Amino acid sequence: MKLNVIGLLFGIAFGGVLAASNLHEYDTIHAMLRLDEFDVFWFMASAIAVSAPLLYVLERRGMRTPFGGDLSLSRSMPEKHHLQGGALFGVGWAIAGTCPAPALVMVSSGAMLGLLAIPGIFLGLHLRERQQQSGQHVGDGEHRTTITTGR
Amino acid sequence: MFDVLPDRLAWYVGGPILGLLIVGLFVVANQPLGASGAYVQTSGLIRRRGEVVVWRVWYFVGLFVGGLLVTQVLREGAEIRSGYDALRDVFPLWATVPMVFGGATLLGYGAAVAGGCTSGHGMCGTAQRSPASMAVTATFMTTAILTTLALRVVTGGDL
Repeated sequence: MKLNVIGLLFGIAFGGVLAASNLHEYDTIHAMLRLDEFDVFWFMASAIAVSAPLLYVLERRGMRTPFGGDLSLSRSMPEKHHLQGGALFGVGWAIAGTCPAPALVMVSSGAMLGLLAIPGIFLGLHLRERQQQSGQHVGDGEHRTTITTGR
Repeated sequence: MFDVLPDRLAWYVGGPILGLLIVGLFVVANQPLGASGAYVQTSGLIRRRGEVVVWRVWYFVGLFVGGLLVTQVLREGAEIRSGYDALRDVFPLWATVPMVFGGATLLGYGAAVAGGCTSGHGMCGTAQRSPASMAVTATFMTTAILTTLALRVVTGGDL
């Protein structure tokens, strides 16, 4: 139960930051990909610059997390599917001007084209899921453990 | 409603906050802040599939609520922006509708093949120093910039 509340709160915070940074707008993403404006690149870079060293230190100190055991980062080597998936994702990202998290914020901002983006993302994920029986943590990025308790 | 956050938050404020959120979820639950996974779990819940990571569904709901809070409560909600001005200036609605839907389908499919999206691989994976995530990120940045360039060429520089 508690983990559900934490999930909700992290969602609210992440969605709030995206909205406050206008990342839910096509125009922001498009200006970035046109290389007219570098704010979004700096946004992503500074998020990584803050989180990467902190995660490194916390993992080395063997931090124990309340819900997920010891803090353990995951690293894997690139495989063919990473490049193929990344390439397709980039094309779709540039055309739709949004990605999974900002698409939700787009709808909450009242931009109705977001109501097309979300079903599109669901459809795309579903099409892949039908092709192969995939693992449970698909789409989260890199991590080893999945926490299913917490209903 | 209140107009507390009328302007766009500067990257040097928003970026580090997001960085701390990434660290925060690892500290609390040892999990990345990936968004595509939340879609996968949510569709699993809707289709009543057996094992669903329920907290990711709540995370999905939270993203929507967080957006609502900022755009409708902390900002003046009266002005609703489509955010698609640049696209709508160039293409009529009958063209933008399939573009947005088709583009979203493509990026959803690509995220599933790659195992993550801008948040899961682009930020959380890179922050974990995963070579696979760095490869995904470099690839999608490259194809996205090239696609945007191609769209610019096709539209004669209008887009």
